[in-house]
Amino acid sequence: MSRNRMLVPAAILAGALLIIVAVIYWVEPAKSLPFPDFLGHEAGSNTVHIKHGIAAFLLGIACFVFAWFQSGPKHGRASTRTPE
Amino acid sequence: MPILAGPISYAQAVILGLLQGFAELFPISSLGHSVILPQLLGWDIHQNDAYFITFLVATHLATAIVLLLFFLEDWRRIVMGMWRSLAEREITPDNVHGRLGWLLVVGTIPAGLLGLLLEDSLRTVFASGQSAAFFLIVNGVMLYGAERLRRRAPRYETGEGSDRRIAEETTWLGSLGIGAAQALALVPGFSRSGASMGGGLLLGLSNEDAARFSFLLATPIIGAAALLKLPELLGSEGNGVRGPALVAALCAAVTAYLSVRFLVRYFETNRLTPFAAYCVAGGVVYSLILLAK
Repeated sequence: MSRNRMLVPAAILAGALLIIVAVIYWVEPAKSLPFPDFLGHEAGSNTVHIKHGIAAFLLGIACFVFAWFQSGPKHGRASTRTPE
Repeated sequence: MPILAGPISYAQAVILGLLQGFAELFPISSLGHSVILPQLLGWDIHQNDAYFITFLVATHLATAIVLLLFFLEDWRRIVMGMWRSLAEREITPDNVHGRLGWLLVVGTIPAGLLGLLLEDSLRTVFASGQSAAFFLIVNGVMLYGAERLRRRAPRYETGEGSDRRIAEETTWLGSLGIGAAQALALVPGFSRSGASMGGGLLLGLSNEDAARFSFLLATPIIGAAALLKLPELLGSEGNGVRGPALVAALCAAVTAYLSVRFLVRYFETNRLTPFAAYCVAGGVVYSLILLAK
């Protein structure tokens, strides 16, 4: 995976935002969601979009993992392990 | 057909369970068949019935457990490899199973996201047997197209090097594409394993490697989908179907085990073409029967 440190802050920010979005999905009913209709807002609906929240949460975690790898050591160290 | 107190009889559960375990791993659309078969046999079971969705959770969970156990040693190596890559903060060239694991994660993201967001609406829109039969034909054309359009896969000796070949030849974007193709299976008639195997072939994998990648990719997505709905099976929505669901799960486990064992060997030397032919022929026949009903 090629490294681009410029992406690290963007990935962390995106990850944090997605986890906030996940929490909003989990605590707010569909009628109160501050998102457009295609992202789950439904006027008058008390449904809680648990699955939308899970999707946002997992995507947030994926962003953090991406940031973790992108911010690793600048030069890949030569592995001392025997190839599998 | 003996109907007991619940909406699904034990006889129906046995048939649906055997079918689910078999059709989930063969590239012929288990969801499509679970929509078409009850309509062909005149059963009063519909894909959108809450109890039927709850019932299917058990069969999916059984299939996922069988896949996990079948590839348990591979999963152990994959998890160790991913852990090592996290500790080193990079995926070193010799960490084959680490790279394979992250390719599986990348491939799971699009199907998982689309499944979480669109499953309910797609199931409602494409619930009819006719549409499932039509998409079964399209699935057959897709499988045949993947075999025809594939880049010529180099011939390898089967066995040990499969994980290394998958890890080396599959790009991150390619894995994302295979994951997106898997999402087609949200539409009854399209096969998840067919889409992911076809995607693998188009990326240049051999049939054996594409099938292996597809089976590994299946475990988290089927397992997560089943676990997400497990509370419904254990809760009040499962009343009346838990017994048949357990029987169906056992049947699905048996056929899933036999299917994965057969297919792993089959794809060492064979292709998707027979399944493509079945999907087209079966789709046409089922369409005609359902139209005549």
